[in-house]
Amino acid sequence: MSNGNRNEEGVSRRDFLGLAAFGAAILASLGALAGSLRFVKSNVYSEESKKFKIGKIENFPIGTTRSIDGKSVFIFSDDNGLFAISAVCTHLGCIVYPTEAGFQCPCHGSKYNQDGKVIGGPAPRPLEWFEISQEVDGTLFVDAGKAVPNGTKYIFA
Amino acid sequence: MNDMNDIKQTGLAKYIENLKSLKSSFANSFLRSGIPTSDKSRTAVVVNNFFLHLHGAKTHINTLRPSYTLGLGLISFFLLVIVFISGGFLMVYYSPSIGTAFNAVKDINFVVFGGKLMRNVHKWSGEAMIIFVLLHMARVVYTSSYKRGREFNWVIGIMLLVLTFVINLTGYMLPWDQLSYWALVIVSNIAAAPKELTDIFGITQYFDIGGATKEILLGGTEPGQDSLTRVYLLHIILLPLGICIALGVHFWRIRKDGGLSKPDTLVGKGSGVASISPPDKTGGIFPTHKTYGLMELARGRTPAVDNDVENTVTSWPHLFIAEVAVFILTLAGVIAYSYFIDAPLKEFANPAIPENPAKAPWYFLGLQELVSYSAFMGGQGLPGLAIAGLLLIPYLDREPEHFGIWFSNKQGKMVALESFVIGSIAVIGALVFVVNFGWFRNWWPNIHQLWIIAINPGNLLLGFVVAYSLYVIKRTGSTRMGAISLFTMFLVSYVILTYTGTVLRGPNWEFFWSSSQWPVH
Amino acid sequence: MQSRFYLSLLLISSLVLLTFVAIATYSALTPEWKQYQTEYKDFLIKNAKDEATRERAEKIDIGIQQIYLTSMKKADRCTSCHRGVENPLMANAEQPHRQHSGNYLENHPVAKFGCTICHRGQGQAMNLREAHGEEHTHWDFPIMPIKYIQSSCALCHDFEMLKHEGGGHVAKGEEFFRGKGCRGCHKLNGVGGDLGKALDGIGSRARAYFPMKHVVGDRTIYNWVKQHFDDPRQIVPESEMRAFLTGEESDLLTTYVLTFTSEQMPRNYMLIKNIVMPRTDGESLYKMYCIACHSDGKASIYDEILKRTIPAIMNPSFLKAIDDNYLKKILKEGRQGTQMTAWKVDAAGLTEQEIDRIIEYIAKDRPAAKTEPFDVAKFKADVKRGEELFNIRCALCHGKKGEGDLGLNLKNPVVQAADPAFLAVTVRDGRAGTPMPPFGKDGVGLIEQDIADIVSYVKTLSQKKL
Repeated sequence: MSNGNRNEEGVSRRDFLGLAAFGAAILASLGALAGSLRFVKSNVYSEESKKFKIGKIENFPIGTTRSIDGKSVFIFSDDNGLFAISAVCTHLGCIVYPTEAGFQCPCHGSKYNQDGKVIGGPAPRPLEWFEISQEVDGTLFVDAGKAVPNGTKYIFA
Repeated sequence: MNDMNDIKQTGLAKYIENLKSLKSSFANSFLRSGIPTSDKSRTAVVVNNFFLHLHGAKTHINTLRPSYTLGLGLISFFLLVIVFISGGFLMVYYSPSIGTAFNAVKDINFVVFGGKLMRNVHKWSGEAMIIFVLLHMARVVYTSSYKRGREFNWVIGIMLLVLTFVINLTGYMLPWDQLSYWALVIVSNIAAAPKELTDIFGITQYFDIGGATKEILLGGTEPGQDSLTRVYLLHIILLPLGICIALGVHFWRIRKDGGLSKPDTLVGKGSGVASISPPDKTGGIFPTHKTYGLMELARGRTPAVDNDVENTVTSWPHLFIAEVAVFILTLAGVIAYSYFIDAPLKEFANPAIPENPAKAPWYFLGLQELVSYSAFMGGQGLPGLAIAGLLLIPYLDREPEHFGIWFSNKQGKMVALESFVIGSIAVIGALVFVVNFGWFRNWWPNIHQLWIIAINPGNLLLGFVVAYSLYVIKRTGSTRMGAISLFTMFLVSYVILTYTGTVLRGPNWEFFWSSSQWPVH
Repeated sequence: MQSRFYLSLLLISSLVLLTFVAIATYSALTPEWKQYQTEYKDFLIKNAKDEATRERAEKIDIGIQQIYLTSMKKADRCTSCHRGVENPLMANAEQPHRQHSGNYLENHPVAKFGCTICHRGQGQAMNLREAHGEEHTHWDFPIMPIKYIQSSCALCHDFEMLKHEGGGHVAKGEEFFRGKGCRGCHKLNGVGGDLGKALDGIGSRARAYFPMKHVVGDRTIYNWVKQHFDDPRQIVPESEMRAFLTGEESDLLTTYVLTFTSEQMPRNYMLIKNIVMPRTDGESLYKMYCIACHSDGKASIYDEILKRTIPAIMNPSFLKAIDDNYLKKILKEGRQGTQMTAWKVDAAGLTEQEIDRIIEYIAKDRPAAKTEPFDVAKFKADVKRGEELFNIRCALCHGKKGEGDLGLNLKNPVVQAADPAFLAVTVRDGRAGTPMPPFGKDGVGLIEQDIADIVSYVKTLSQKKL
């Protein structure tokens, strides 16, 4: 559109029109495009919530190890508090099983110690630890969508 | 050894040099030429670009006159583009299973970001296509643009019209709600309508073309999962592919036929063209004299071969500004409409409870008005005859005069007006008659169906339209006037019948002045 | 060189497009539920009793809440607005924030059950109107009024348990259903009469299945069923249904009837504590299948709706005249030309054994003394004389041509098909509990020959025109 620079009066006005028109068009198209791309990102998933309740603190006396049905999470309770460790191997997503030494992945042989630290195999990162929180009525729940620094243990009254 | 080293060094230096100029060389390879500043480079832009080279390098100013084309074909095309894009987005969430389709559409409406708008845009731009394709056809008819080698392109246009109808209809089935289900029931039975005829001749058991079509469409005897799978296949693959191919040919032929139609001598120069500046005759590759080049090697017409190069401008930027403007206009219109009006979604499909009235989508309600006499004539016979009639227009009217001029001349305008009035009276009269007095079946309940197939309001209307246009030909001595008359009456009938079927027909297909009078169920 | 027209068009269109993209984005970013969640969060922050609660409240993230029930492929998003449903702090809050009442959620955690299993409504929807399935939202299963909510309990629990553990309403409704003879006219699981519609799946039928024209208030199936119980002919003018319950009692029956859904709950949701076999003693069966028309069976009643006298089947004099075999034949084959259903196993679905028990119950008051038999064949009947006698003695009640008035219509197929000896005994001994007197008694004055003549005339009535 920068082509019409002939020595005529009103050219700049026309240029301004062109600039405004194309500017607005590009802006509007980008807006529509951005909305359309946001459309593709799901707001909800057809899967169960990552947050789930695990009951009251009384159910977890010190020394408890429990895996929650269908949730791929281990819950432990020791002197320093309650903590949740993911059962999903950080290598390629298989489910680890507990052993004497800690955890073992059946797929490619990754080994973790009891804190989820890698002690063998191809796993690049330690197992994730998840947040445990308390509802107002004291019920505990784990948010398997929210990782916390490894070693985070929770003490609940 | 030294030599080898030098070569290596120069090789590496070249490599590094190439690396440095990667940005500009990639941009050049992508764009081939920068923003054009001369007519030569403006031409190059068009010729070198896959998307742009569908256009001529130069465009006749008549093409750019808004009052000539009204942008109707272009709007239809852009609606298609919008339909394709929005449809692609909807496919992210939709799944064609009768167990999940309805929920998927609900989720698109409720929880997907902008989902409801996207669905509305898809629905309304699809249905708007029907209107704009019809209007585009009207423009082509009224400007005589189906002549001079363009006869077959008109045929392709009719194919596109039919495809537009069918792709809209198949889309209507996909949400698997009550509307989808009962429309599918009705449509599959219209597909089975030739049974009416084969039954009369007693050959149904040997040659059941209607039943076979229905079963192939449904993948069973009643709508179910297989029907949805088939309809989905049609909607997302076969019909879009058909449209793309037909549209490709449609556009290609326009180019081969020398761009859009235009009058032999541009009349009204200076009025309709006021917004277009006179062509730039300095410094272009086309000097003021006419040019014949490689185009001579192939037969056909191009704008350059035409006799008024003086009236062309470079497509870049004139044509492209116009196209971008029409695209944004179309998009803005569709989004604005979709923001206010929601696409319908009724209860989940329920084979036990028909909708009352079980209406087909609105664009078929003109036909539904006709099928209430004979499913075969209304659903297949009359639409078939109407399409055949439209197809024949360019072959039966071959008068070369008045090419590219709205309504040809003053007489054409009169004929169009007169056909509009008489067509309206005929259609409304027929409707008033049947609403008040019924038809054969109401008078003689035991009458043979053959009589109704042969004589029903639809047939009589069609007969009248044909007869009247023949009378116009005889009176004016011009086949062109007959074409104008025939098409006008076709359009008027379609509009009035559709309006009646959509607005004035209520439960049990009874007549109501407005839906607020419908009895409560 | 540019065309001002197209540039202006482009500018205006772009501005319109931009405006609508902005408006659409804004409305997509400010949905109804977001407002409720903000209210909820603010309320919690403001009313926090201690610092820890306040911190927890501040951490609440606002977003679509969804309970996905994998086994039913069901997504309930109700908690997007009702976020306080499990929060004791919201016990006294206004809806939509209030905590769920009672202790139901202890045994039915929201995460496992969601909301719509019990409450119905449209779990996917994200606005009040459509979530609650109000009229014209095109949703077949609107939210269930609380007074009928116990019908949902019966999806997973047995009535014996419900009776004692918080499902008293629906259990009582079930008792009504058993005791009011509903299945005399309505089939359920293939057993029951044919006069009314089968009831299977009625609780989960689409709205459009019901004629809603005369329903007062919301056009929901809940209101339809309830109002139809209260006054059937108000809702369906041509209905022949008898209604026995109104007010709160019909609410209970409505609650029960809504349990007839066609869905099957997944096994891991079911909790059946008691396997209670349906009671099949004669009395229970009589109440289940017969009582609606015959009531206690002691007196014959003229029924205005059925336009027919319903015989007093437990009347001793009726029983005296009719033996078990004849009763069984009537029960099994029904009475053609009347509303009496054929109850045999391949018709209304009662087994031989059940029919026997019903007969045993009906005939329990049969007088010990046998009826003196009447051997009609012994007499040579004179139809003409029978007619004369009929006109004098019978026509007053039964009409000149036997068309019936105070007495039965003698032309009906039941009478015409009856055994002449049965008719003769009826004329001779009368029918206690009805206006029919015993004509054979001394002093009333018909000798056996007269009775035989009358019976032979009565048998010819069907050919007579009115």
